[in-house]
Amino acid sequence: MHLSHELELFPNLNVTQILFKDVKNAAELRQNAVEGTITGALINPTMLVSPFQVLVAANKAVHLNKTGKMKTRSLFSEIIFNLSPTNNISEAFKRFGISDGDDSVLVVLVHNKEESQLVTDITAKVDGQQVPLDDLSSLSDHAKIKKLYKITPQEEKCGTLLDAVVCRMATKDVM
Amino acid sequence: MTSAGNLPIMELLSKAELLKQGAEARIYKTLFLGRPTIVKERFQKRYRLPLLEEKLTHRRTVQEVRSILRCRRAGISAPVVYFVDYTSHCIFLEEIQDSSTVRDHIASTRWSASSVSDVSLECLAQMMGSTLAKMHDEDVIHGDLTTSNMLLRRPAGHGECELVLIDFGLSSISALPEDKGVDLYVLEKAFLSTHPNTEALFQKILKTYAASSKKSAAVLKKLDEVRLRGRKRSMVG
Repeated sequence: MHLSHELELFPNLNVTQILFKDVKNAAELRQNAVEGTITGALINPTMLVSPFQVLVAANKAVHLNKTGKMKTRSLFSEIIFNLSPTNNISEAFKRFGISDGDDSVLVVLVHNKEESQLVTDITAKVDGQQVPLDDLSSLSDHAKIKKLYKITPQEEKCGTLLDAVVCRMATKDVM
Repeated sequence: MTSAGNLPIMELLSKAELLKQGAEARIYKTLFLGRPTIVKERFQKRYRLPLLEEKLTHRRTVQEVRSILRCRRAGISAPVVYFVDYTSHCIFLEEIQDSSTVRDHIASTRWSASSVSDVSLECLAQMMGSTLAKMHDEDVIHGDLTTSNMLLRRPAGHGECELVLIDFGLSSISALPEDKGVDLYVLEKAFLSTHPNTEALFQKILKTYAASSKKSAAVLKKLDEVRLRGRKRSMVG
């Protein structure tokens, strides 16, 4: 159901993504994230094209964390920041983090061990239904994504929406 | 210039497959975030002054990445950038699969010398002309146009071929017809020296370029001027 990927650059670290629908306690979860009682990134899944997008953001966050060059204060806020096409931190949180009224949440965990306990712990905190990661495509709001990432129509001809999004995420520091 | 941050990359590259080593960079093939990826590592030139070395390598990395995004935004195919490590100057790029360099394609097509292959070269010339026109209209100067830096991607089964530009390490942004003319001149020299007796084919590229670009007249005029300069050329005017 959830998706776990071992980072090739950091083989002792895994990134686990868990998707929830019909979430009723988004406000509480957001508060927990701010307080730091949830050790994961809470992301608004409507802004995501694919789990690969999250992996790109997570990999960059871990790299910057290890080299002491993060732009935000924690690994999890850095993951959210890396999803954004701009360098404005508060805008990134607003667009990619969860809001109190959201009914779907993607939880991203970064850990160095077997994840089943972590998944159980998180699932207990979320008042919602865990669904397979494949459901992510049904939640994506492509129009909103295209608008926020400023995807040009020509660009869509030479690649997928995911290509365009990932390329911007990877290069935004120098654009 | 080793720091704790470099070790993970060095580890990954030591297990990756080295595809090519150029004057500036090593190209590796590996899996990254589950996808077939090319890692371009700009290695250190120890004969250079360390401060200059760092600035130059960093600048080349940045320019490469900027130009790729700029091209993609204009609809020109270039590999997707997945990740850039500015401490070790490594760029993680999409591996363009089911492709061959234009250089290999022209060489192998000419070996078979059948009428079918000639038509395909015509098509290729048109693709090159129109892609370069689009690129120059975006004011992107590739800087190292050769047939080895162009890939022909042919998805298995379909007839649709796609031209993908790679290696933007020497690229820059410029609106000047002079710079674009020089860009085409570099291609002309590389083209004619790599593929003998292809003058007509190159002319076809220029013809399509002229038809596709709104600013081509000035550029082609500059190209004529640039040809008159260079090695073994009389500057007597």
